[in-house]
Amino acid sequence: MSETTQTSSPRRLTDLLDAGFLARLDALDILSRKILRGKMQGERRSKRRGQSVEFADHRPYTAGDDLRFVDWNIYARLDQLFLKLFLEEQDLTVHVIVDTSASMDYGNPPKQHAVKKLAAALTYIALVNNNRVTLSTFADGLVSQLPNMRGRNYLNRIAELLLTTESAGPSRFERAAREITASRIGTGVMIVLSDFLFKEGFESGLRRMVSRNYELYVIQMLSPQELSPELSGDLKLIDVEDDDVAEVTVSGALLEYYKRNMSAYCNELKDFCTRRGATYVLTDSGKPVEPLVLNYLRRRGLVG
Amino acid sequence: MQWMAPMTAIYAAAVATPLLVLMYFLKLKRREQLISSTLLWKRAIQDLQVNAPFQRLRKNILLLLQLLALTAFLLALGRPVLQLQIGPGKRYVLLIDRSGSMNATDANGSRLDAAREQGRTIVQSLRSKVAFSLTEKSDQGMVIAFADQPKVMCNFTSDKRQLLRAIDAIEPTDGLSVLGEALRVARAFAQAPGEDTNDRSGESPAQLELFSDGRIRDATEIVVKPGELNYHKVGEGSDNVAVVAMQARRRFEDPQTVKVFATLVNYSPNEVLSDVQLSVDGDVRAVRPLRLPPSRPGDGQEQHHGTGSVVFEFSHPGAGIVEVRQLRKDLLGCDDAARTILQPPAKLNVLLVTEGNLALQSALKVCPLGSLNVRTPVQFDSMDPIDPDTAAPYDVIVLDNCSPAKLPRGRYLIFGSPPKNVGIEVGDEITNQVAVDWEARSPVLEFVDLSGVFVAKTRKMTLPRDADILCEFNNSPAISLLRRHGSPMLLVGFDVLESNWCFEPGFVMFCYNALSFLGTETASAQESSLRVSTPITIEGLSPDLPGKVIAPVEKSWDVRTDASGTLRFAGTNLTGLYSVHLEDCEPKVFAVNSLDIDESNITPVREIVFSGEMVKAQSGAPQRSNVELLPLLVLLVLVLVLLEWIVYNSKVKL
Repeated sequence: MSETTQTSSPRRLTDLLDAGFLARLDALDILSRKILRGKMQGERRSKRRGQSVEFADHRPYTAGDDLRFVDWNIYARLDQLFLKLFLEEQDLTVHVIVDTSASMDYGNPPKQHAVKKLAAALTYIALVNNNRVTLSTFADGLVSQLPNMRGRNYLNRIAELLLTTESAGPSRFERAAREITASRIGTGVMIVLSDFLFKEGFESGLRRMVSRNYELYVIQMLSPQELSPELSGDLKLIDVEDDDVAEVTVSGALLEYYKRNMSAYCNELKDFCTRRGATYVLTDSGKPVEPLVLNYLRRRGLVG
Repeated sequence: MQWMAPMTAIYAAAVATPLLVLMYFLKLKRREQLISSTLLWKRAIQDLQVNAPFQRLRKNILLLLQLLALTAFLLALGRPVLQLQIGPGKRYVLLIDRSGSMNATDANGSRLDAAREQGRTIVQSLRSKVAFSLTEKSDQGMVIAFADQPKVMCNFTSDKRQLLRAIDAIEPTDGLSVLGEALRVARAFAQAPGEDTNDRSGESPAQLELFSDGRIRDATEIVVKPGELNYHKVGEGSDNVAVVAMQARRRFEDPQTVKVFATLVNYSPNEVLSDVQLSVDGDVRAVRPLRLPPSRPGDGQEQHHGTGSVVFEFSHPGAGIVEVRQLRKDLLGCDDAARTILQPPAKLNVLLVTEGNLALQSALKVCPLGSLNVRTPVQFDSMDPIDPDTAAPYDVIVLDNCSPAKLPRGRYLIFGSPPKNVGIEVGDEITNQVAVDWEARSPVLEFVDLSGVFVAKTRKMTLPRDADILCEFNNSPAISLLRRHGSPMLLVGFDVLESNWCFEPGFVMFCYNALSFLGTETASAQESSLRVSTPITIEGLSPDLPGKVIAPVEKSWDVRTDASGTLRFAGTNLTGLYSVHLEDCEPKVFAVNSLDIDESNITPVREIVFSGEMVKAQSGAPQRSNVELLPLLVLLVLVLVLLEWIVYNSKVKL
């Protein structure tokens, strides 16, 4: 696997993730709580009974069934036709959506570093497990997209995209969601990596992304400076995306209200996701990505 | 409330208020800070504003405080004044009584302290000059303290501190209340410019403010214009018992025995039992209780005070200081005691120069004299005194109707025609003269009744100006006192044999008094017991002799005799003993007493009756007018600025 990433491309995945981490990622796969149907047989066992070596169940034969799946041993014993049902191994579409708006460049370290690392790790896991991977970046709408990639050959392209995309421009999440879902095909897992600090709201965008065919993971990446700001004095706060200005005299009470609002906002997002069957994960860009992937996302069932 | 400089405040307000509002509207210079999103910050600001109490007010509380502070500052610039006395700059003369009765302690301290305090109130109420005003004038004040004599403590000035210092510098005296001289001084300073030349300016004459208990001795001699003088009454009580007369005399028959007479007066409306103490050189010799009847109103405005006398008799061969003191505590202390200097008994050597006057000779013989020599004028002229200027062989020389060729230095009692070269002009003969007026209080005429004296014929005399006339006939002076070449001369301007006086008992008394007055014994005793403010005078000393006078209040003055060898010291303002120390001389002690029946009457007067004008006391103590609110407003500005600082800091730290 390490050979795959060490291509002649000037941009390599190892620029984002170190080799040791990649080696540990090899053991993981993207999981889906639902067995979702893919376009072609892959390494994923779907709930749909299909052609596979792994037996799942029997069911009575009905007219029109493929006789090749009749369990003749049971017929011999019971004199009834039963069909053998196998767990069909299907390919999984893993759609990783990365927020590259200007706000992602905020924080120390910037949120985009953590987001890009996480996206690289998830796409790596998906590609090495022969899943179909689509990587999209959005800001003021859909910025770029690497659709329907399968196999390690695409690792360098992914690295190229992640390393060359700069965080800039305002966030139009609803517009980006509309564009992304319009081009979406198949079934799978959709992972949205963003800070979700959208002035137009996150609801309409997420509502578009939630569908029967896709399992949605919402990973909110916030910097330590956003979670617990250390500001004081008379400040003119300038929004990096739209140059909106908020003049504040930072006081203890104001910071308290900010933290309460931040907590409420995150809870609101979490509730929204939970109600719609999506999984919400809040992460801190100041913390390393490796434990997040290897431990936290594993526990949350995204990887396994 | 009035404004002393409203235009100043308006100009400042016109500039400062828009400036402050403009500065407030200028945005606060805030530090720019890039953040990922203002979304949550705006929500936090909204929450903070919604949840903050009085958040609308809070938003502008700094501006409000600044406006309030500015308003207070502008008001201070306008110099608001409470109870403003408006009008052009006024002038005030503060006449503060410092006589003996003002030492009464019935006004939360002495009356003089209360008068000073009221004077300070007037001074603090004077208006100062308005800033930036070219027309307005400030009030001016002048301070005069008066007792027997006026003293200008401070001339007209608008400097309040100088006026207050002048008021504080007023020292109490035990003297009499004589206002006339003080008023003359005040009017001389206070008259409006051009008043003498009938060219009156717009400036009004000064307002006289009198602070006194109203016991003005010469009130009826003073003319006051209506409204010219405001009388501020000081004091309330009348509880006082005073020694108003005292005399110590050796007995005629036994000079070692001393008799002391004292008269005490009760001024309070209640009967008083007082102990009267006699002490000699500080040793108490006797204490007698004395019951004094209350003071009662008499006919008209007269008041009959309760009077009592006490007589002590004791044996004392030498000199000493005799003090009579009433021991009851009352409001005024300076008149509770009287002192006199008792001289040792001494016999006078008297020379009578006469052609023969049996009446006079007999009268002199009954006087307790050491010796009485009789000479004719011829013998007197032929006498060669050893050193007549310094050591007179006779204490007193009596000239009976003779004019010696030369008069050696001495003390003379002259009957009939006066000696030449003393400035007395003798005129035509006059007949049938009777005594019409005499100084009964003079020691020479003490206990002498001249009402029945008749002179058949004598000569009219014209006396020099410096002569003191003690008794007057209807056409000529009868008895007079003058001094020539250092020699006191008591002149009886008629021949006693031409009158019926030699048959009167008063004639012997007069001879006794005259010899005592002129002689060393009584003369020195008389000079040693003085009334308050009477100068100490010692004659016959070496010229330009330095010395020191020590007052009863542990104060001393350096003095020096003049070219004629006379020492004069006028600072006897307080009762007590004054000692004079001169080089190469024995110290001399002088007793200064109040002994004034009017000054000891401390009952304050509600209305002073001047000549033709009655001035009522002002109701209540003077209230402070022209109270400037400037200090209060400055304090308010400071408080508001402090409050603004606290609000600003709490806003940041909340």
